[in-house]
Amino acid sequence: MPRPNPRMITFTIDGRETQAPESSMLVDAAKHGDVEIPVFCYEPKLGGPVGACRMCLVEVEGIPKLQPGCATPVKDGMVVNTQSERVKEAQRGVVEFLLVNHPLDCPVCDKGGECPLQDISFGWGGGISRFVEPKRHFVKPVELSSKIAIDRERCILCYRCVRFSQDVSEDHQLVLLERGAHSYVATFDGHPYEAPFSGNIVELCPVGALTALPYRFKARPWDIEDAGTVCTLCPSQCNVTLTVRDEKVLRALARENPEVDDGWLCNRGRFVRDAIHGPQRVTEPMIRDGGVLRPTTWERALAEAAGALARAGEHSAALAGGGATNEEGFLLARILRERLGSPHIDSRPAGKLPLELHRALAEPSLQARVSDLEHAHAVLVLDCDPVRDMPIIDLRIRKGVRHKGVALAIASQEPGALDRRAAEVVRFAPGMGGVFAQALASALGDGAEVDRLAQQAGSDAQAVRSLATLLAGTGAQDAAGQEPREVAIVWGEALASGEHGAAGVQALLTIAQRLGLAETSGAGLLEVPAEANGRGLREAGVLPNAGPGLRPSPEPGMDARSIARALAGGDLTALQLLQCDPLVDGYDRELWAPALERATTVIAHASTLTEGIAEHANVVFPAESHAEKEGTVVHPDGRIQRLRPVIGREGQTRAGWLVLADLAAQLGLDLGVNTGPEVTEQLAEAVPFYAGLTLQEIGPKGVRWQDRDAARRLHAERVAG
Amino acid sequence: MSAATAERRMLLLNDIDEPGLATREVYERRGGYESLRKALSMEPEALLTELKDSGLRGRGGAGFAMGTKVSFLPKGAAQKYLVCNADESEPGTFKDRELMQKCPHMLIEGIAIATWAAGISRAFIYIRGEYVLQADILDAALAEAREAGYVGQNILGSEHSLSLVVHRGAGAYICGEETGLLDSLEGKRGNPRLKPPFPAINGLYQGPTLINNVETLSTVPSIVKMGGEAYASLGTETSKGTKLVSISGHVQRPGNYEIELGIPSREIIYDLAGGPADGRQVKCWFPGGSSSPVLTGDDLDIPYDFDSLAKAGTMLGSGAIIVVDDSTPILDVALKTAKFYRHESCGKCTPCREGTNWTVKMLERIAAGEATPMDLDIMASVCTNIIGNCLCVLGDAMAMPIGSMIAKFRGEFEQSIEQARLAAEGALV
Repeated sequence: MPRPNPRMITFTIDGRETQAPESSMLVDAAKHGDVEIPVFCYEPKLGGPVGACRMCLVEVEGIPKLQPGCATPVKDGMVVNTQSERVKEAQRGVVEFLLVNHPLDCPVCDKGGECPLQDISFGWGGGISRFVEPKRHFVKPVELSSKIAIDRERCILCYRCVRFSQDVSEDHQLVLLERGAHSYVATFDGHPYEAPFSGNIVELCPVGALTALPYRFKARPWDIEDAGTVCTLCPSQCNVTLTVRDEKVLRALARENPEVDDGWLCNRGRFVRDAIHGPQRVTEPMIRDGGVLRPTTWERALAEAAGALARAGEHSAALAGGGATNEEGFLLARILRERLGSPHIDSRPAGKLPLELHRALAEPSLQARVSDLEHAHAVLVLDCDPVRDMPIIDLRIRKGVRHKGVALAIASQEPGALDRRAAEVVRFAPGMGGVFAQALASALGDGAEVDRLAQQAGSDAQAVRSLATLLAGTGAQDAAGQEPREVAIVWGEALASGEHGAAGVQALLTIAQRLGLAETSGAGLLEVPAEANGRGLREAGVLPNAGPGLRPSPEPGMDARSIARALAGGDLTALQLLQCDPLVDGYDRELWAPALERATTVIAHASTLTEGIAEHANVVFPAESHAEKEGTVVHPDGRIQRLRPVIGREGQTRAGWLVLADLAAQLGLDLGVNTGPEVTEQLAEAVPFYAGLTLQEIGPKGVRWQDRDAARRLHAERVAG
Repeated sequence: MSAATAERRMLLLNDIDEPGLATREVYERRGGYESLRKALSMEPEALLTELKDSGLRGRGGAGFAMGTKVSFLPKGAAQKYLVCNADESEPGTFKDRELMQKCPHMLIEGIAIATWAAGISRAFIYIRGEYVLQADILDAALAEAREAGYVGQNILGSEHSLSLVVHRGAGAYICGEETGLLDSLEGKRGNPRLKPPFPAINGLYQGPTLINNVETLSTVPSIVKMGGEAYASLGTETSKGTKLVSISGHVQRPGNYEIELGIPSREIIYDLAGGPADGRQVKCWFPGGSSSPVLTGDDLDIPYDFDSLAKAGTMLGSGAIIVVDDSTPILDVALKTAKFYRHESCGKCTPCREGTNWTVKMLERIAAGEATPMDLDIMASVCTNIIGNCLCVLGDAMAMPIGSMIAKFRGEFEQSIEQARLAAEGALV
């Protein structure tokens, strides 16, 4: 679907001519003329305007009544006045009305100091209230959920939270009960508002009515500093602003990036304080001594690890995962390949994929952006459940379906949250995603194999065919000479795993080719990797069959599954785990339990002592959380994003790159890095399609490498190769 | 009795007290459904021209020309809807109740005709929940109409098909506001929507929707029968036709009267309804339901039509005249009115939600003897801050009459303040 590309028109606001996009709402258009129109209920992220708060009333020449600026589209030649006495009188009136039932308890309110109601009362209010009657009272505060407190006396009934629940996350839990001045926000039957994205309502609330229990009474706005970084708890890699007081992260706020998160956060990413400062954090190096992990010095831990690795030599292996940065993965691979002479390194839990397929999947023209999910004609969710695997795109897909008429199709092995929004839902047997993809590819082609493959995948052949029709369209559009059909496919790494993985990816590429995804802008593939920075680690060379930049490695190594077997069989003896625990992170547990048991040495870079590490690690280096880390990660759509330390490191934790550099030094390898940015520089030199990349260029919102000139190098190499 | 009352032209209430008029048999004997036959023999465009020529203005309160409203509906194949607003909730208004109770087939016939003119195949009657008897009667009449083929597939062998459903509301005044009604009909909380888009473009289930009042639609068969131009010859230049007026309050013969628009208000209140009891004077009167600014005893010669009343600073509204005589303190009238709107405010927009609430509290303070004349200025200013600034007109519906009462009866309010204050002080002693 074509994205809106409005022309600019000229209108007059407060006597000055201003350019603004046609049909944008006056409150937005006014900003182009440096005029602020105050709003409470208006929030475009929630959908269309509702015009409830009436704060944005302005005068439009030719219309007798004052108009709500949030719901009046700007037109060419329109004359708008926000400063007339009539407008000011109305705005003062609305502020006075809003404060009629507001307790004015700012001195004890968490929102005080960062409160739109305060700001607007100050900027547009009359400064006094003529209301002397008793105010409305509620029991307060009450727990709306385990994370959120609600103070109904402070609520100005702007509906933002209710609209979020109804129209954005579509959990349909929050409603407004009662009527008139007695209205209040609640769940219908009083049950707690528990939902994966419920925390967003705290940030949406323009007053202190909704507060996060973990943040309540922890700080005032003048005590805190906010700093932006990227959350690396899942592949969504949402942009966040972390609120810091006294070197502690107190809360996470969305740092809106329409190409990544659309300004939303999931509860896991929002309520991160325990993940960063919780008692389970590893904050000092440890070595196993007498069967127990005991704290030790960095010198001793590094020496111990280096000694073990030196002894193991080419019998070493490594896994990287979690929020490990590109730089950390890159240095880890260098140690293995350059010093230990071992090619056995992997970042994918389930089996090797031929390098040619990795490179084909990375083809720039095949990549879908996150925003394509909102504007495509059709979206296929294949072998993943977004709310579980990459939560924030669940909201983006819902937005597309709700507001843009995107046709959603789901093909998965189990029921998922998006099923009820889908036009087509097809199931396949567990682990048969690869076969299903072949069936779909066939259905999009001559259809000869659909019945056989669908049966093998445990799917209904007819459903596969109608799915193919939904994706390909009826063809009427092409005949009518309209724009080409844009299809975005969100697929899970599970599809590329197991015995059918390679065939599955091959089929996926066939599907892409048959749907013309490479030739259509706004169409493409978006992989949901198993690890938060799965894409970045692969591109940095954390693959058994590829070095940095997905170039063939001189000596192919074992993939994760083979490494586990080799460890269990004694062919490999040492294992480095970079922010990864194969017993809890989606690896094959049955394969890995004996492997860890048998391994002579397990060296872990970890921020918490999860099962595999607590029981099997010989050396544990404390790893940074995403609030402490410096480096880059790659979003599943190829956006290189920058992590920036917002607090000092906990305890004795050291920078991840430094630990690896020190370890290399102990092993006699000089990695040639003295600062974090130097590692990024090395990485940009080693990966052809990152060439010339600087941290400055990445900036606060990231840069997709496919959008840079250097991206052609991948393509050129492929053609040449 | 004046000449006007003696020769009143009646279209709606002509046979209204005929026993059994609610049944199809009696209604048909009285010429019922003949207009539908005639309409179905006409092209929809020709029928629409008749409606436009009649100059019929909506009888629900806003007075918008019905034919024009129909022509706003986009042409094309999209599913369009007609919704009959039978949520007659404005205090003092009870004309639709009588029409539905005594002559339901006239409404059904009107709907069948209007939908043919507008190319609509699905219609709803949204009736207020308290009208249990009327809803039952409508249901029964609808069953009869279906049986006789006046509603359903290919009505009377024509191309016109219509499904008609009677939906009962749950008792909220705001659901009489057309967009609140649509939300309620869709199963949501009955809150008004932002306009534009107007229902004619994007209404029920996001389809183009024609919303008309019971009386408006009940008038349609008469227009078809007599022709648009003949209908337009009744009434005044801008307020054509006849209108039902519900008169209540301090009059000797309260009830529904059908009048030709433009006759002096005095004739309605005194000649038709008998005026206040002997020895009493009209102190004030609401000309168009409790949401219209009040007029005084001096305003009785204003012609009763849309434009004359608008010129006098008030409105014809739903055509409900409430008469208050000099036995009632204006404070009581104001408090009763304000309390109603506070109770019915949906709470969606700020000025209405907080303004109605605040106004009631101020009026109660006056009654309790805790106010000063300055509070009247605050109250007037609160009303000014409500009027025109709300999402729908519910806020205005309280602010306009209260504002007019303060303006016209300030002296009496000040007396009440003083008396209540003295009484309260006396109570303390």
